[in-house]
Amino acid sequence: MADAITLNSGRAAQVARSPLKRRRSPLQRKAFPYLLVAPAVIYLLGITFYPGIYAIYQSLFRIKFNSWTYIGLDNYTKLIGDHEFWASLWNTFLMGSGALLLEFVIALTLAALAYRDPWIRSWRILFLLPMLFMPSAVSFIWKLAFNDGRVVSDLLMRIGMIGRPLDFLGDVWLARLSLIITDVWQWTPFLFIIFVAALQGQDAEIEEAARLDGARWPQIFWNVSLPMMRPIIAVALVLRGIDIVTMFTSIFIIIVLTAGGATETMSYFIYRTGFKRFDFGYASAASVLLLVLTVVIAQSFVKRFFRSVRE
Amino acid sequence: MARKSQAGSLTLRYAVLFAWALFCVVPIIWFLTIGLRPRTEIILPRPLYLPTFTLDAWNMIWTSWPMGAYLRNSLAAILGSVIIDLLLAIPAAYSLARYKYRFREDIGFYILSTRMMAPAVVAIPIFFLFKTLGLLDSIWALMLIYAAMNLSLVTWIVRSYMLDIPPEIEDAARTDGASDLRILVSIVIPMCLPGIITAAVIAVIFAINEFLFTLLIASTQNAYTLSVALANFTGGSDGVIYNAISMVAFLAFVPVLVLVFAIQKHLSRGLTMGAVKG
Repeated sequence: MADAITLNSGRAAQVARSPLKRRRSPLQRKAFPYLLVAPAVIYLLGITFYPGIYAIYQSLFRIKFNSWTYIGLDNYTKLIGDHEFWASLWNTFLMGSGALLLEFVIALTLAALAYRDPWIRSWRILFLLPMLFMPSAVSFIWKLAFNDGRVVSDLLMRIGMIGRPLDFLGDVWLARLSLIITDVWQWTPFLFIIFVAALQGQDAEIEEAARLDGARWPQIFWNVSLPMMRPIIAVALVLRGIDIVTMFTSIFIIIVLTAGGATETMSYFIYRTGFKRFDFGYASAASVLLLVLTVVIAQSFVKRFFRSVRE
Repeated sequence: MARKSQAGSLTLRYAVLFAWALFCVVPIIWFLTIGLRPRTEIILPRPLYLPTFTLDAWNMIWTSWPMGAYLRNSLAAILGSVIIDLLLAIPAAYSLARYKYRFREDIGFYILSTRMMAPAVVAIPIFFLFKTLGLLDSIWALMLIYAAMNLSLVTWIVRSYMLDIPPEIEDAARTDGASDLRILVSIVIPMCLPGIITAAVIAVIFAINEFLFTLLIASTQNAYTLSVALANFTGGSDGVIYNAISMVAFLAFVPVLVLVFAIQKHLSRGLTMGAVKG
């Protein structure tokens, strides 16, 4: 199943260069692979490295329209004391971990129940559907359901769970819950698809052997199947985790600045500071801190997990 | 006894799967009915479950909004970005998959790590960059940004499929005197076509979904895409125009569904950038 993710995979190393070489200078031959990869790298540097430097530079200024005043690290010291910034950071963590945990548990449970099911193809398609809508559309679906159309309140009242309509976007915790449910609805399929593929790729004979040894299904899943798919779980969680940390669209559409900083993520805080309050220096300082955060995540997890996915 | 509990667990299994399927599908069907009902039946003190059906919203999106422009912008920006991606990613993937050289691994992981970059981090500098270049409110800017956003995953997906090709085939061609570039174009690319298509489809989907950069760059129908145009379907005092939003959502949903069906078998591998072979 999952191999070949490491750059040092055996096969690439084996490429025996044939003795019959076309005539090219040794320098040309050495440069060739670099030339192939260079355009992509230059493009990416232009769109990540340059903006990164620019953000650091901009964060040292107070920017009012077109006048830039150098203020050193003042933006950062102000940021450290800004409770809205900390609220956005805390909230990114809270909603991110909540959504990720729910998505993980649900996707793994569904995958475990479905992967040997004869109807697996149908389940896959049904479960996949929410992921195929644009996130902005999904945000409107749930905004209508929770708030504007009061459908969720109405349904809960009909089954007698609540006495009067809930104000989903007025209450901080309910607003967070709405955002989490929106994310879970749309993105649980992402993890489900990956987990099913990982489970299906496993050797059925190992499970069969465990079953013949008298192990029951939950035991087999927990002790045999799950440990084997750990590296893939890690990769899937990193990919999903990064996207959750950068959650923006649903907040932009669903929340519309009702509950202040309490329901925003860092991404939204940066957007609001830059493009609503036009405080670009300050927003850049926040960008730099988010950059540091994501670089730390990327460096500590990505390399390790992606490399570990191998036979 | 054992049989009975097995039947019980089977019922439980189907109950759970069926419940989740309902949770996935019911909101979609309900939202489709939203698109098919008149505006007066959407936002009410108590929701209406049996509305009257009409094609008002469908007619409205074509007459009240420049849908043609939104569609054209989406299509041009997305296709352009995928072409840029393939032109840059295929040689890069080949280099990473087939040659051994210094810093190869670092370069590969640098490319991968750009996938982990939060869009908000670069949003402000990129906004200023395009402002300086005079590319605000232009689909060229969208094209460039979508291409950058998807380049890492296209490279890694294609690379993963290239690693599956037995190197002996290329060696044979090399012995026959074919140049490296020639081998890439006439042997490697045709052989990893499923991977290239998978990568392209996933890039298209992420580009359709893109919201933050488009929101910053586009300000008129010159560059509005479907994804961001939705957020503007709010008619002042009329509030959010949900039935039109629903129609546009399904308009974008159908082609995505078709594309995903086409690469179904490769989907998990594509989504993990090659880490899982589905």
